[in-house]
Amino acid sequence: MRAAIAAHDAGADVVMISKLHPTRSHSGAAEGGINAALGNAAEDSPESHAFDTVKGSDYLGDQDSIEIFTREAPGDIYQLENWGAFFSRDEDGRLAQRPFGAAGSPRTIFAADITGHVLIQVLYEQVCKRDIKVYEEFFAWQLVVDDGRCQGVVCWDLLNGGLKTVGGKAVVLATGGAGRQYRATTNAYACTGDGTAMALRAGLPLKDMEFMQFHPTTLYPSGVLITEGCRGEGGFLINKDGERFMKRYAPNALELASRDVVSRSEQTEIDEGRGVHGSVMLDLRHLGAERIIERLPGSRENAQTFAGVDPIYEPIPVRPGAHYHMGGIETDSDGATELTGLYAAGECACVSVHGANRLGGNSLMETITFGRRSGTAAAEWALTQAAVNVTEAVEHDAKRELKQLLDRETGERPWKIRDELGETMLENFGVFRREEKMVRQEHVIQELRERYRNVHVEDKGDVFNSDLTQAIELGNMLDTAWCMVQAGVARKESRGAHARPHDYPTRDDANFLKHSISRWVDGKPELSYKEVRMGKWEPEERKY
Amino acid sequence: MQVALKIWRYDSSTGNRALKEYEIDAPEEATLLDCLDIVKDKVDGSLAYRKSCRMMICGSCGMRMNGAAVLACKVRMYDIAQAGEIPTISAMGNLPIVRDLVVDMEPFWEKFKAMKPYLQPGYDRPEDGKEYRIPQERMNAIHKEALCINCGCCVSECNAMESDPEFLGPQALAKGMRFVGDPRDDATVERLEDYSGQHGIWECTRCYFCTERCPKGVDPREAIAKLGAEAIKEGVDRDMGAKHAKWFIRSTETTGWLRETELVPKTQGVVSSVKQMKFAMKLITHNKAGLSFPPHVARDVGEARGLHKLVQDQDRQGYLGHVQGEHALAKLAHGYQPGRDPYGPGSFPKPYLPGEEPTREPEGGA
Repeated sequence: MRAAIAAHDAGADVVMISKLHPTRSHSGAAEGGINAALGNAAEDSPESHAFDTVKGSDYLGDQDSIEIFTREAPGDIYQLENWGAFFSRDEDGRLAQRPFGAAGSPRTIFAADITGHVLIQVLYEQVCKRDIKVYEEFFAWQLVVDDGRCQGVVCWDLLNGGLKTVGGKAVVLATGGAGRQYRATTNAYACTGDGTAMALRAGLPLKDMEFMQFHPTTLYPSGVLITEGCRGEGGFLINKDGERFMKRYAPNALELASRDVVSRSEQTEIDEGRGVHGSVMLDLRHLGAERIIERLPGSRENAQTFAGVDPIYEPIPVRPGAHYHMGGIETDSDGATELTGLYAAGECACVSVHGANRLGGNSLMETITFGRRSGTAAAEWALTQAAVNVTEAVEHDAKRELKQLLDRETGERPWKIRDELGETMLENFGVFRREEKMVRQEHVIQELRERYRNVHVEDKGDVFNSDLTQAIELGNMLDTAWCMVQAGVARKESRGAHARPHDYPTRDDANFLKHSISRWVDGKPELSYKEVRMGKWEPEERKY
Repeated sequence: MQVALKIWRYDSSTGNRALKEYEIDAPEEATLLDCLDIVKDKVDGSLAYRKSCRMMICGSCGMRMNGAAVLACKVRMYDIAQAGEIPTISAMGNLPIVRDLVVDMEPFWEKFKAMKPYLQPGYDRPEDGKEYRIPQERMNAIHKEALCINCGCCVSECNAMESDPEFLGPQALAKGMRFVGDPRDDATVERLEDYSGQHGIWECTRCYFCTERCPKGVDPREAIAKLGAEAIKEGVDRDMGAKHAKWFIRSTETTGWLRETELVPKTQGVVSSVKQMKFAMKLITHNKAGLSFPPHVARDVGEARGLHKLVQDQDRQGYLGHVQGEHALAKLAHGYQPGRDPYGPGSFPKPYLPGEEPTREPEGGA
């Protein structure tokens, strides 16, 4: 939505395509906040924000992009506030800022613990104000690539049925993550990596696919997110004895170390038998009822509804769960991809700001800052171009492919393949990774892809055929998961979210201070590497 | 656990509706949404419903369970299944059904857009190019309205909409209140004029179903009441509903009781009232309409007048008087039992740092 608004304001004629209504997007589930160095709560600067981000990325983030990001973030925040975003305030009526993991200053602007919801609302309000056309519940399926440039998208119209091709001089992908590859995830059912897979099949390079962030506090058993804001507000992580174990892993930052560090510490506690039901406990009791109710009502509601636990009186059982994909479609700092006319922003893109590990509060900010930049850049490009020309053959090919899928009368139902993928990804490509398990996972994915060729869609109807779209989503997850695991096997070091304590326990800057690049060639992913754009900060040991 | 559901299926190609029963095996922590997923995966892939976040924030999965609107992801099935109940699941009300549990949300969003649902800040921008300075208490006053996830549960249940589909409805009006109550918005009077039309604020029948069924605690009825109070405060009172409400205030302020005889002319105006003379005469003959002059004054009228004065002295007219910030937050405190000790007997061990002594022997956890 931020990209659409920017493109509209730059003078372009814009339509938005979304498989959900725009306010249903999973950005709305982000809770804790959004980072910008406003300096309202303590002294802060974009440089300090940039350094924390570089260090958090385990030096894999591109430093020029990170500097653009942290420099432009405050202006974007003021813009959102001036549009009416419902942010929480400090005593002086300014935007309040709370501490977040691995941040040198309280930098996270928030709206209680519904920050993402508030941002989604304000952006949709601005979309309404501009009367931007939205094709709601259009499932984007394939990119139209002709004459060496991207000229549109082929979609399945969920409400009415049928393929609809939307032509455009420029296309911005903002399709989010793919956490549904994992059984334990904070992600919505909609997070299936559709845009990433579309770009992959169009021959585009994906970057740093092996880096999947595991959020340290996902609720047991349902996996929904309990915000980092709980720890930002002072929450403790304790094991079954009540011990604040983070002191042993991150003696200075404790609970507010970076997410990869906290997730590994929790997993170690659980693996060594100091957990409770495969979880550790997030203890907010000492914060008191008033603070919990005012600052963390959504987390309390989630804990009450899904775990039957009231955090005012009891600690919340939490464990690491797949949360955010640092990797994605390779773009420059204007969101431009290798394919002319195609842009990407947000979780589906890899600019790269987050490198090997993202800091909490940086993803909402990334969607805003790079959403705006890519929307503006796409509009500028589009305004210099003559009309697009989408040949009928494009839709014809898509129709034939679709018919093949729908005409199949027997075969395997998608859920079994989906569940096996989720289970094995968690087991073999989770918080800690072992060579032999990753290699096994590559085979598992190939076997699942074989079975997927025979997948059976029961629903043959036109109207709201989610059986069809869910089958297509599964294909997207399988292809992107293959890229992830392949890149993971090849990265023989431990960096950020990619942890190999058993064979390569340390970071290897000599050999692996570089981006993994995955491309689809002849029906399988092919791996290569690309230099990281360094800047003023040289890699050093990462301690919290 | 074994879960049985009856689901109203609707076939859009034939227009046929049918109630079908499904029985599935589900994990104990399963929600209604999880159960629908199991039906779709393993029993009938053609079942249509919306879903996404499964954590009560995206607003996709509004539907009806035993005739009452719910978010499917919020309903735990354990107690229902244990009790041997077989709930009936159907699409939300007041919106056209597309297929099975999927409704057409277009009328819903049309009303949302009719509210001019975006900040209209006027010319008064922050001088330093940064944020507006607003006390948190002012934000708290519209906190509940800001929680709305547009799921449509309130619209589904709205009795006024059932009789007048053009009624703006609880969701749109709550959204409107979110801007009327925002100190950054400079279009308060225009908004109140817009929202006070024939299908606006005063058409609400005050049945409270919206507030009752809202899964997020938005309290749309309270938002509508706040709009009404603010409209009267701002002098936007041409609508009969506003005049009706104003007469309650005026009547109790002057004589300490509600003078119903005068209510009709004060609400509808003299001309319109004359047309109802026949009805009025009947009331008079049955001694149902008092005509004493001067009107009777209640004995403790001083108390009523004192109350009115207090509201004015404290500047509590309008929405800020109707609901204070603390009140808005109080709703979020559901289940809070002041006085209960979080570290009492049977509770989870108290946190301690490594190297320190545990404060109490662990008791095996929660």
